Amino acid sequence: MAESNPLPLEGVRIAEITVVWAGPHVTQILAEWGADVIRVEPITHVQPYSRGGERVQSREVARRAAESGVLTGAYPDNDPGEDPWNRNNAFNAHSRNKRSMACDIMLPEGREAFLKLIEKVDVLIENNVPVTIERAGITYDVLKEINPRLIMLRMPAYGLEGPYKNYRGFGTHVEGMIGHHWLRGYPDGSPDETGEAFTADALAGVMGAFAVTSALLKRHETGVGQQIEMPLAEAFLPALGEWILDYTMNGRVAEPQGNLHRNRAPHSVFPTQGEDQWIAIDVATDEEFRALCDVLGTPELLADERFQTAVARKQHEGPLNEAVSEATRSWVNDDLFHRLQAAGVTAGSVHNEAALMQSPQLLDRGFFEDLTIEGVGTHTYPGIMTKWANTPNHLRTPPVKLGQHNEEIYIDLLGYSREEYDSLVKRGLVGTTYSEELVPRTWLPKQEQ
Amino acid sequence: MAQLFDGLKVLELAGHAAGPFAGKLFADYGADVIKVEPPEGDTARHEGPFKDDIPDPETSALFLHLNTHKKSVTLDVTTEEGRKILRRLIDQADIVLESYRPGQLAEWGLSYDELSKDHPDLVLASITPFGQSGPWRDYRGSEITLQALGGPMHLNGSAYREPLKSGGYVAQYHCGIATAYACVAARFRVAMGGKGDHIDQAIYEAQAGFRDRRTVYTTGYSYTGFVAKRQPPGSRVAMGPRPTADGYANIYAGGTKHFFAALDLIGRPDLKEHPDATKNIVAYGEEFAAEAEGSWMAWLIQRDKRTAVAETQEIGLLGGAILTTEDLITDEHYRSRGVWDTVEHPKAGTYEGPGRPLILSGTPRQAPQRAPLLGEHNAEVYGALGLSDDLERLRSEGVI
Repeated sequence: MAESNPLPLEGVRIAEITVVWAGPHVTQILAEWGADVIRVEPITHVQPYSRGGERVQSREVARRAAESGVLTGAYPDNDPGEDPWNRNNAFNAHSRNKRSMACDIMLPEGREAFLKLIEKVDVLIENNVPVTIERAGITYDVLKEINPRLIMLRMPAYGLEGPYKNYRGFGTHVEGMIGHHWLRGYPDGSPDETGEAFTADALAGVMGAFAVTSALLKRHETGVGQQIEMPLAEAFLPALGEWILDYTMNGRVAEPQGNLHRNRAPHSVFPTQGEDQWIAIDVATDEEFRALCDVLGTPELLADERFQTAVARKQHEGPLNEAVSEATRSWVNDDLFHRLQAAGVTAGSVHNEAALMQSPQLLDRGFFEDLTIEGVGTHTYPGIMTKWANTPNHLRTPPVKLGQHNEEIYIDLLGYSREEYDSLVKRGLVGTTYSEELVPRTWLPKQEQ
Repeated sequence: MAQLFDGLKVLELAGHAAGPFAGKLFADYGADVIKVEPPEGDTARHEGPFKDDIPDPETSALFLHLNTHKKSVTLDVTTEEGRKILRRLIDQADIVLESYRPGQLAEWGLSYDELSKDHPDLVLASITPFGQSGPWRDYRGSEITLQALGGPMHLNGSAYREPLKSGGYVAQYHCGIATAYACVAARFRVAMGGKGDHIDQAIYEAQAGFRDRRTVYTTGYSYTGFVAKRQPPGSRVAMGPRPTADGYANIYAGGTKHFFAALDLIGRPDLKEHPDATKNIVAYGEEFAAEAEGSWMAWLIQRDKRTAVAETQEIGLLGGAILTTEDLITDEHYRSRGVWDTVEHPKAGTYEGPGRPLILSGTPRQAPQRAPLLGEHNAEVYGALGLSDDLERLRSEGVI
């Protein structure tokens, strides 16, 4: 029954004044399911860590960073080009299906346009430090007078109240402040070896989309909007519930867990042939342990009295993991993965980006999609993380350029006259680029000749 | 008080963490969630950590946390009578969450096409490791293996050591939220006059779409042809996790726009004059890097982690302390915000747990309510189906 239904959020219009990773991820997911998302972004100052408009790297530095495995601010062919803010991977990974209007809410003209926009949208999403929204005078109390149906999602790092209210941080700082960084460390190492994770941004993305859509459903019944406060820290805390309860019920402070599991062993990653090749293996039952030993050809482990039961294996997991590592080391990673799965062992290769993008499973399900940005080129992008059997869905439009939809939004949606619009452009308030004064083109190669 | 999901009926056939977390989000905000457990109970009941470390299906913290505000019934769906009862429960639901292996429901005659024939509003969400289709559809998956295949695991940890998984069950929790979002979106379409749907949520695909580096770096790979790699500890000058007097803090000073303010703060204003001071952090020379890093470390080690963060927040640095669960529960910020729910449970006693992820101005969340005992609501739920007279028989035949 391959009938096709409309996308669920068709007809919902959303404005975003979001920065960095978490806020734009919420709108990414809402846009994927049909919402018309308008990104409100200034051209009169650079939003830090958002489009990568600040501290633009030269071609050489960009290439060096990518080569050393740092991809936080990468460009196509490592070339920042003349408009690096339209070429940044961190931005372009979320900005498909969106529209962009240039508007600085801190300036009077921008505020006027923004308030007109608020009349036309169902939802406003922001993830700034609370004081920024207060200074801009666009708190929910103000905006609901203009649009009582407005749903406003606020995503501060730690909350609209409390001692950490205006603390600034990224996902990795939030993961520290809620106990995740500590929990996921090497059991025999220190947190500076753990690296930085942005789990908070990923969780906030889906939680924010859930919150907004739930409020839309409620509004359908009540006719009025509401404010949703969703601190990144508090959207993440429930994901650590069992560790928190272990403290409040038993007084046990969780130690760094690394790849260990509470009850199961082996439960870790094991080396295979080649450089930095690993496979995760997770054995729960005696039957699975038998299957593991069969595939690895290690009858001696099966016979070892230390490894006879799940409890015993957990008790002796140090020597067990060492023995399994010895056995996996000579395997070709992919062979071992499929052999173990065929034998009924829960196993999964540790895949980098290249391996993920060649995953037969993801390719079969059409997860990755190609998009073409004019002047930037055609590239493959991660797609939509959920499938609906009767609502086929694809990425619709490429990552949005700075101010790409200025005209249609100001004139068609907000009702500015051509003269008013032209005046905003002339005064440098609306446009599609940052000025030379604001962003000196230091990364461009010196003109030859 | 009006709740976000007043009147919404959710049937939870899903076990362990992902599906139950989706169910919890609905239940905590007012939906009527019936959890159907096998006679021995959800696997989360057997996992722990247990109250006083004594295994008991009623005191597993994982279960207690994930199943607040729900009703529990037991049902052996491997029996034909069990499946007949299941069908009746499904027919009354707006949303069904299930985590059987792909194809299981269809084998029982309970495919989405069948279930939705007279119930086009139905939203059925199937949560599996790899999804309902594809060559790996029947492969086994678990938290660590799905993080390995789908998520950013290859980037967690040190360049000199093995990759590390993210904490606890974050892949499953994340997948649960993604599922809850899809279900609400489908219900929104129903409210607007459209139809329900069969949602196919793979934990693997949720990991592939994970904003924690995964989507950013696959785009980066697609742009540059280079893969991301685990980095050596401390490779960025005065930036990232470092020891403090009482633990660790992760503060960004080096290379940021507030670096000069940081040099003032740590008593090294002289370094601002150094020719490297204005360079990109990756371009610092060895001598400058050693001076800045040494002074930064020395400053940090004289302070408690939260003090170091407070002082550096004052000058605009991004940062956070690396807290343990004990630090977290006793932290003044979270306590002052009322983050912790106090829950009373007949077997696990009184304990605190993380409360709301969302604070809603129009529909404030109801008071906390403990997770149900196994089959606690059999009489109520089956009674409502008109099965009161059959309860004894069903019990003795092991159906419930």
